[in-house]
Amino acid sequence: MTTHHITFTINGAQEEALVTSHITLLAFLRERLGLTGTKNGCATGECGACTVLLDGEPVNACLVLAAEIDGADVITIEGLAHDGELEPLQQAFIDHTGTQCGFCTPGILISARALLNRNPDPTEDDIKDALRGNLCRCTGYQRIINAVQDAAKAGG
Amino acid sequence: MSTTTTNPTRPVGDSVKRIDALEKVTGEALFADDLQFGPGLLFGRIVRSPHPHALIKHIDTSRALAMPGVKAVVTGADTPKQIGLYLKDRHIFCRERTRYVGDPVAGVVATSEEIAEAACKLVEVEYEVLEPVLDPLRGMAPDAPLIHPDLGNYEVPNFIFPKAGTNISNHFKIRKGDPDAAWALCDAIVEDEFRVPHVQHVPIEPHVAVAKMDQRGEITLWTSSQSPFAQRNLIAEALGLSQSSVRVIAPFVGGGFGCKAGVTMEALAVVMAQKVPGYAVKLRLTREEEFFTTFVRQGLIARTKIGATADGKIQAMQTEYFWDAGAYTEYGVNITRASGYSSTGPYEIPNVRADSYCVYTNHPVGGAFRGFGMPEIHWGIEQIVDMLAEAIGMDKAEFRLKNCIRTGSIIATGSTMHPVGLVECIKQATAAIHWGTEERASAPHKRRGKGLAIMWKAPAMPPNAGSSASVRFNEDATVTVSVGGQEIGQGAFTVAAQMAAAALGVPYEWVRVEGPIDTQYNPYEWQTVASRLTWSMGNAVMAAAKDARRQVLDLAAEHWGEDVDHLDIKDGMVISYRSEEAMPLKKMVVYGLPKPAGQGWRGGPIIGHGSFMPSYVTGLDPETGQGPRSVVHYTTGCQAVDLEVDTITGQVTILRIAAAFDVGKAINPDQVRAQIEGGAVQGASTALFEGFQLKNGKLANHSFVDYRIATSVDVPFEIIPIIIEVPQDDGPWGARGIGEHSMVPTAPAIANAVADAIGVRVLELPITAEKLYLALEAQADGMPV
Amino acid sequence: MPAPTDVNIPAPSTLAMPSPGLPPFDYLCPDDPDEVVALLLQHGRSARLLMGGTDLFVQMRDGALAPRVVIDVKRLPGMRELSFDPADGLHVGAAVNMNALAAAPAVQQFYPLLAQAVASVASYQLRTRATMGGNLCNGSPAADTAPAALVLDAQCVVWGPDGERTIPANNFFLGVRKTALQPGEFLTRMEFPVPPTGYAGRYIKLGRNAGGDLAIVGVAVLGYPETSAASGYRFRFALASVAPTPIRVPEAEALLAEQPITSGLLSQAALAAEDAATPINDLRGSARYRKAMVRNLTRRALDDVWNQLQAEG
Ligand SMILES: Cc1cc2nc3c(=O)[nH]c(=O)nc-3n(C[C@H](O)[C@H](O)[C@H](O)COP(=O)(O)OP(=O)(O)OC[C@H]3O[C@@H](n4cnc5c(N)ncnc54)[C@H](O)[C@@H]3O)c2cc1C
Ligand code: FES
Ligand code: FES
Repeated sequence: MTTHHITFTINGAQEEALVTSHITLLAFLRERLGLTGTKNGCATGECGACTVLLDGEPVNACLVLAAEIDGADVITIEGLAHDGELEPLQQAFIDHTGTQCGFCTPGILISARALLNRNPDPTEDDIKDALRGNLCRCTGYQRIINAVQDAAKAGG
Repeated sequence: MSTTTTNPTRPVGDSVKRIDALEKVTGEALFADDLQFGPGLLFGRIVRSPHPHALIKHIDTSRALAMPGVKAVVTGADTPKQIGLYLKDRHIFCRERTRYVGDPVAGVVATSEEIAEAACKLVEVEYEVLEPVLDPLRGMAPDAPLIHPDLGNYEVPNFIFPKAGTNISNHFKIRKGDPDAAWALCDAIVEDEFRVPHVQHVPIEPHVAVAKMDQRGEITLWTSSQSPFAQRNLIAEALGLSQSSVRVIAPFVGGGFGCKAGVTMEALAVVMAQKVPGYAVKLRLTREEEFFTTFVRQGLIARTKIGATADGKIQAMQTEYFWDAGAYTEYGVNITRASGYSSTGPYEIPNVRADSYCVYTNHPVGGAFRGFGMPEIHWGIEQIVDMLAEAIGMDKAEFRLKNCIRTGSIIATGSTMHPVGLVECIKQATAAIHWGTEERASAPHKRRGKGLAIMWKAPAMPPNAGSSASVRFNEDATVTVSVGGQEIGQGAFTVAAQMAAAALGVPYEWVRVEGPIDTQYNPYEWQTVASRLTWSMGNAVMAAAKDARRQVLDLAAEHWGEDVDHLDIKDGMVISYRSEEAMPLKKMVVYGLPKPAGQGWRGGPIIGHGSFMPSYVTGLDPETGQGPRSVVHYTTGCQAVDLEVDTITGQVTILRIAAAFDVGKAINPDQVRAQIEGGAVQGASTALFEGFQLKNGKLANHSFVDYRIATSVDVPFEIIPIIIEVPQDDGPWGARGIGEHSMVPTAPAIANAVADAIGVRVLELPITAEKLYLALEAQADGMPV
Repeated sequence: MPAPTDVNIPAPSTLAMPSPGLPPFDYLCPDDPDEVVALLLQHGRSARLLMGGTDLFVQMRDGALAPRVVIDVKRLPGMRELSFDPADGLHVGAAVNMNALAAAPAVQQFYPLLAQAVASVASYQLRTRATMGGNLCNGSPAADTAPAALVLDAQCVVWGPDGERTIPANNFFLGVRKTALQPGEFLTRMEFPVPPTGYAGRYIKLGRNAGGDLAIVGVAVLGYPETSAASGYRFRFALASVAPTPIRVPEAEALLAEQPITSGLLSQAALAAEDAATPINDLRGSARYRKAMVRNLTRRALDDVWNQLQAEG
């Protein structure tokens, strides 16, 4: 089993690590780096609970190898708030009750962040489409969509 | 936040923000798999039965044990006693027999999940395959193979009636009036059979448990749980330990919906941990295991006959329920009971016969699922009522208004209905979708239809299920509320804080609710199930807060030399209406107050205690199901659905769902609406997409690829939540539960709207596009549908 | 994506289940295409190529594949390049991810059918990794981009022991999980010729739910004015999820070229598509429903394309 020396930035900080070939980015984040905000809901790319930003684009961390992030920039839910200030998106989720059990929430916030990065003024359909890879069993989605809309209006 | 200063009960009744929202949007909220145990953590994986029904002839664990990194292997030999919430019908690991595909046969503990998984493949099990029971009707047959030959010897509470020598783990009966005589009076009688497949809760967080036994043999279990206290109790009993020797620590639950209630895989982790004292053992289910090795919603075959007179009055109803309870029946026996006594739906019917059978099958284990049998039985009830209205020739809303329960109605058990706002729910929900107005479909190949369904549901629990709470002040007069009820997303901690704040007279922001729930420190709560927390735990919190408040007022009264009756606490200040004295709480709630002239001190840290247990629930006659008060209360409601069916594909597009529920009092209206919306979507998802495809007991669609649930793009519709408030006499501020109810009527309401749109009645869930399309094709060919 | 499951799987003696994580393997990331060829020849069936991993890792977790070496080819020169030339058409590196593909201005402008097909796949975050090349190489009958590749007459360019060769998309799919790739070969890019002038296209995917399900059926229709055809038009049809491979429907194509186009003829073409479909019963739908949907959705797509052609013509 080969190991790989990887250098990457995680939530803005430069890091390096030795990883085996078959450890996924999700397991690496949760079990090696202790970044447990990113969740494991299926390990097959279906639920979106593991969504993180890889070089600015959202990916299912369960389907990425840690070895593949050499030289890359990774942002997780822990990296969304800055200097103790919540992202407008996070605040909007609080204001709109966009979270219930909260297990889907980190992945949804990352998907929503990525959407607003590429499209600051999304329609309701754009939002739904951007979130279709994030399952939520609690909320029924509408409040999440409202929250993203609101954050977009706030320049989020 | 709509904080109105005029609200006299504030913050009760205010839509304050969730108390846990900040943690949850930052990723800081800890779930069971997030807890850190250091490098010594061991991992468990489970060897499972590939057969639906088999005898275990031989297990050889030696090869697995020899694998480097493997620390222990456990089997049924390590679990002599039986476990079960009502009926103690299972061993934690199978002993001589396996009863469903996935039944745990052995557990491997190793230094990594990967090694444990690999070692599982080295456990050799020799089976003798037995004929499986794959359908409850077959299970009822006299010549069916017995899944639990020892059923007659199992331990069982006195309101569950297993039939020794059969596969029937409970038979609940209602005998009220004389249906046989009543049929003759009826001008229309409808009879049909309705089927509901197994479905899964699909919490986005799969089950996970970490267990550790210390050198004294005491157990700590960290787990995603709706029932930390019930788990402590049942696991202690099954292992022959005292309750205080088992400690359950339960952080936030990433979705429960019933599947994390009672004991499921947690006990496996505990037994594995017993083999490796001093080491924590983590067991987490894969998504695929989650689908069928924890609890599932039971399948149901419902046969119903109902009749009415020409004036539109329902005269008689007769029902048989055959529950496909699966291999064991943690909750199933009580779902059978609850569905039996609720079998009329929310209607006042003079003549009722109901037989509800809980039948063992070699299918996944049935458990509690949001609605506890009510979504399943309302699937048939609310369709057959629609069909009867049609047969009588009455508008379906009108028909329901004529027959539904009202305050004082005599229900199926002979009990009298408490104050209830169902009529108002029907009126408002139907009005919200313009009931009675035909509206055009959005395209020529689409057909539009409207339908409604009403519901009732009572908390189904032992008559003496209790709650307790404590409320204590910190130095700065902030308040710590301690409860044993769990935050599973429904907002329990938020309403607990609101209630404590309102009863104490402090701002909501001053209140914290302690988590994780730790059975060693938190006060007792039966379980976070049955939509009972706002009501039952709420009563305990209210009592605890009132206790603390009384202590504060007594102290201030003594200090000021005033009568307690003139004092109050407002916004964190103790005030006197007479002397107009005022004093901030923080001066007195921990350090007490000085007596005059340096004479010493009085008071001390203030802590209030409260508990609640209903005292008035009576038993039901085992032969007739009649009794003065069968349940604590019923929450009722109505959903009205407006939808379109695409005749080219059979696909259903829901346009609007209006949902009105009588919650007694909305402690937090926004949270109530959130429950109503989430329930409608979960209901729509089970209605349109979900269902187990079991082949010889094996689940074929055990992944998200093949078991679809509603996504953001499947919810094109508008949900109109409507709150009705007819207060509950023993509810805190009049509140009763709403968590489960919101999904109960959704599937039949959709079915009724589909029937309205295209004239096709779907009798078996789910209402797939394929079913509708093929029925439309048959309709076009002039075949009966 | 898992192969369409036969629901009557006999019970094995142990319960086979996907594992919590990936099985062990060596991850290699060569930077020379010939090194890839050498590795493939050396390791044979115990080597797998990796691009987005959205099929590969899922199948490895499921236990369907257990390669000893996983060879990441997405960093090879050109694999992530996309270019358009008005004379030469569109060249898409095999490892161009689906989001990049769908967002490329040339694709939006000249190949909207391709963008539609890509957008129907899974979710945005999955498409950040998933590639069209992987979608084709995976050889699933349900591959959503395959019908688009077929009707756009794409060419698959592969690199192998003998250097470069080109396989028309129409000859690329040989069976469930079988492609025309030979030992040591791998896909390097897809080439799409300049589409016919005035063409219109449509991809319709039917899933059990709206949110990124695998196709119960997928139907691609492309039509364009063509003076040499008796009808004045030519159409191309391709179907996903209704046969062991994605298929073209030459019968329907011939029908619409030979006679003046009427509503009745469009229906006949839809029927021809239905006839061409040989679906199975699986978890997503029955063969009977699938056949009916091929007919109805081909008609729907065809109406749409026909209306577009009429509007433009
Ligand atoms: C949750 C989920 C949802 C999905 N939904 C859809 C859907 O809606 N529609 C759909 O069509 N697909 C769907 N898929 C399948 C998958 O995403 C696509 O097939 C994807 O395009 C594969 O691309 P990839 O880059 O990830 O391929 P990889 O997984 O990297 O590779 C796919 C296969 O091709 C081989 N391979 C890789 N590169 C090469 C090469 N250069 N030459 C030859 N062989 C190679 C690999 O060894 C592997 O066998 C879904 C998958 C998941 C996990
Ligand atoms: S855990 Fe990665 S998508 Fe579910
Ligand atoms: S809030 Fe529970 S899954 Fe989304």
